[in-house]
Amino acid sequence: MWGEAHAGVPAADALAQVEDALVAGLRLPEGPVVDVHAHLGTDADGHHLDVADLVADMDAHGIAGAVCFPANQPGDAGDFAAANAAVARAAAEHPGRVVPFCRVDPAVRAAETMQRAAADGAVGLKLHPVAQRFALDDAACVAAVADATGRGWPVLVHAGFGARPLAAALATLTDEVPGARLILAHGARGDARAVAQLARERDGLWFDTSLAALPDLVALPPERVLFGADRPYGEHATARQLVALAARVAGWTPAQVEGVLWGNAHALLGLAP
Amino acid sequence: MNRVDAVRLVAMLGAIEMCLVRRDAVTGPLLAQAARAAEGTSAAPYVQAAARLARAHDLSARTAGVAPVRKVTQALCRAAAQEAQAAALEGGGATSPTRDAGG
Repeated sequence: MWGEAHAGVPAADALAQVEDALVAGLRLPEGPVVDVHAHLGTDADGHHLDVADLVADMDAHGIAGAVCFPANQPGDAGDFAAANAAVARAAAEHPGRVVPFCRVDPAVRAAETMQRAAADGAVGLKLHPVAQRFALDDAACVAAVADATGRGWPVLVHAGFGARPLAAALATLTDEVPGARLILAHGARGDARAVAQLARERDGLWFDTSLAALPDLVALPPERVLFGADRPYGEHATARQLVALAARVAGWTPAQVEGVLWGNAHALLGLAP
Repeated sequence: MNRVDAVRLVAMLGAIEMCLVRRDAVTGPLLAQAARAAEGTSAAPYVQAAARLARAHDLSARTAGVAPVRKVTQALCRAAAQEAQAAALEGGGATSPTRDAGG
């Protein structure tokens, strides 16, 4: 219910009815949905989500699969090793439901961490330039993206709250790593206008809808947009509402909406149909 | 929801979102104002539910029990803000009646 357990929330039944009415009115196409943005574990800021709660939430909202990566939980060594291993275990427990991405700090044994994560089944990389305090054109970040790209992995990059100006660094990064496939989280709302302009000029940039701003989403080509909810920061009801409203405002076709909800992610991630 | 009502709500809800994140004590009064501003619009159910939660709980409290209530309030505000943003982008006439059917 609104991303939270009913216990501890007063008047939960009435609130759940408001959520149900919202979802019922969306008129999104029937069919699979892939969420490309979910954090597992306990973040340094106190947010927490375990895989059982995520899968229950996915079941409630018809989400077939979710790209999962660690919360900001680098561990004492700063290399996310334990958190990545936990995501790998979650994926093993829920095959096909949890699509594991690993997370690294580019400055802390990134290559070694990715090698271990790949052996554990990771299929992508998550980078958070704000939490790990780096720029996308730092040499260590370029090296990490090149490593991921060499493995055939897409790279999901935090591009929302707290982001520095992104467009110039993204231009450098994509020049340095031809073939990189970058998913800019939160509709790149941290630098939306400049990044949208960049995306018109070059390939390799996608955007997720998690906690994105509607005016940013409707300016993007829907073929570059992927559904995301950002659990546990966001939740699935308003994440789906955002896609429905973007489709209405921008005039996306049903096929384009299906692409946003799952088709674009299937193609980018190489998921089984 | 016409464009003027929508822009007003977007502005109010943006301030409320930041107050919720910062656990500011003015969240409740701002939500009460927003609930009045949303009255009769399609965003009303969400803002009114959020305002009810704010009346019943001190959303600025740092106790663990309030955290899920604050998150639900944020989600309700997000639903309302997105509804209002869509209305603003679709550009309903600024001089049309200020109330719509709601729901």
